[in-house]
Amino acid sequence: MAEPLLPESLQHRPTKLELDEGIQKAKETLLKKIRRSVYVYRVDCGGCNGCEIEIFGSITPVFDVERFGIKVVPSPRHADVLLYTGAVTRAMRMPALRAYEAAPDPKIVVSYGACGCTGGIFYDNYCVWGGTDKILPVDVYIPGCPPSPAQTVYGFAMALGLLEQKLYAETTVEVEGEQAPILHPRVPYKTRVAIEREARAMSGYRYGKDLANQFLISLATAPGGDIERGMDKLIARQDDPRRVEVFEALRRVVLTGEAHV
Amino acid sequence: MLKLWKVNAKTGDATVKYPFAPLETNKDMRGKPEHNAEMCIACGACAVACPPDAIHMDSDLAVDSITWSLNYGRCIFCGRCEEACPMGAIKLTEEFELAVMSKDDLMSKSVYTLAHCSVCGEPFAAAKEVDYAARLLEAAGGIEAKEAARVAGVCTDCKRELDAERAAAQVRTANTTHLGLAAPKAEGRVYLGGHGLNPLAAGEGSDDAKEAR
Repeated sequence: MAEPLLPESLQHRPTKLELDEGIQKAKETLLKKIRRSVYVYRVDCGGCNGCEIEIFGSITPVFDVERFGIKVVPSPRHADVLLYTGAVTRAMRMPALRAYEAAPDPKIVVSYGACGCTGGIFYDNYCVWGGTDKILPVDVYIPGCPPSPAQTVYGFAMALGLLEQKLYAETTVEVEGEQAPILHPRVPYKTRVAIEREARAMSGYRYGKDLANQFLISLATAPGGDIERGMDKLIARQDDPRRVEVFEALRRVVLTGEAHV
Repeated sequence: MLKLWKVNAKTGDATVKYPFAPLETNKDMRGKPEHNAEMCIACGACAVACPPDAIHMDSDLAVDSITWSLNYGRCIFCGRCEEACPMGAIKLTEEFELAVMSKDDLMSKSVYTLAHCSVCGEPFAAAKEVDYAARLLEAAGGIEAKEAARVAGVCTDCKRELDAERAAAQVRTANTTHLGLAAPKAEGRVYLGGHGLNPLAAGEGSDDAKEAR
């Protein structure tokens, strides 16, 4: 486990606000039986503004959250929902709390983005408290870096009871005698490594892997074990000249053993 | 007025139907990282690659387990884990509906057992990883791979110690056969195998060389 760079004693542990019972009840009712539009106030607690751009993306005509009555308002005094973005830095703690205090009860707090949920990529920074829930009671977490407008719409739709929550905590335990399958077992190991290396050098990790897999499958499933015909057929099927170039280089690796790079 | 209606009718509706109809997604979209626990060998390459440390490998020696965990709340969906995975066990999918009401629901875990070193008995890697390495070496064939497969279940420290013992045995062999010095009594453990071949021991037929092999 990666230990945080700062010792525990040097990092601030803020006390979290607690709700009293009456407000808690009112909030649950608000979450369940909301029959009107909700007003959202956006609080940036030290984010990179990526989340803000996506929030504005979701009120554009394409995603148009205003059709559900979700409206971004300029004052926390009008807000039903407080949308906290950013990792909660030490400097932004007071504005965050002031916005919370200013909003009328009951209010829903949404943690928006990876930083809002857990501190995200800045979680072990010296000035970062790591997530809205360190100081406020949070109702909905919308992860993403940044969450796309569709993710935002989903988060609100779920909070307002339009859609069901899909993601739940899961733990899988290794079954006795479980074995990881060897990838492409019909292709000799050294050939496979040479093909993967060449594909990676030519088109990067992500697409190189895709292309190498496609190529290796064509080798393993060549009719009658005729790999040369299998490779030729694969190359003939491609309509993208870049793919043809990569597959031809891979064929050269198989036939002559000489790598491009 | 009529003209405006015409323009409107021609343009159509720009708004997506999303929460009421599924959203169209792209095959290469970087959505929720899906972990295939069966294909995973718990090597930890993804945990090393993960920029925000959303993926953790935590070993619990008390119950002999190593736990892979992914916090979707910290994930930045960069896809480095997918690039680093040697097994293709983790893939970014088109799934994007990740919002939750409780923070615990953002955690995904997989528990694996640890393997113990066959020499010193200390836990050193996930059992699945050791098993996979041994099978891969076996399938690869060749004398080098065979030798390496023999010590797949030995931890790095013990391998290093055994390598040192082999080197010492080689020096003794060379002293005996080439310089005519008296061979000191070989002591300690018998070497189990190793990486590469011992050119001296392969050619000579002395007792030390045999023992070294």
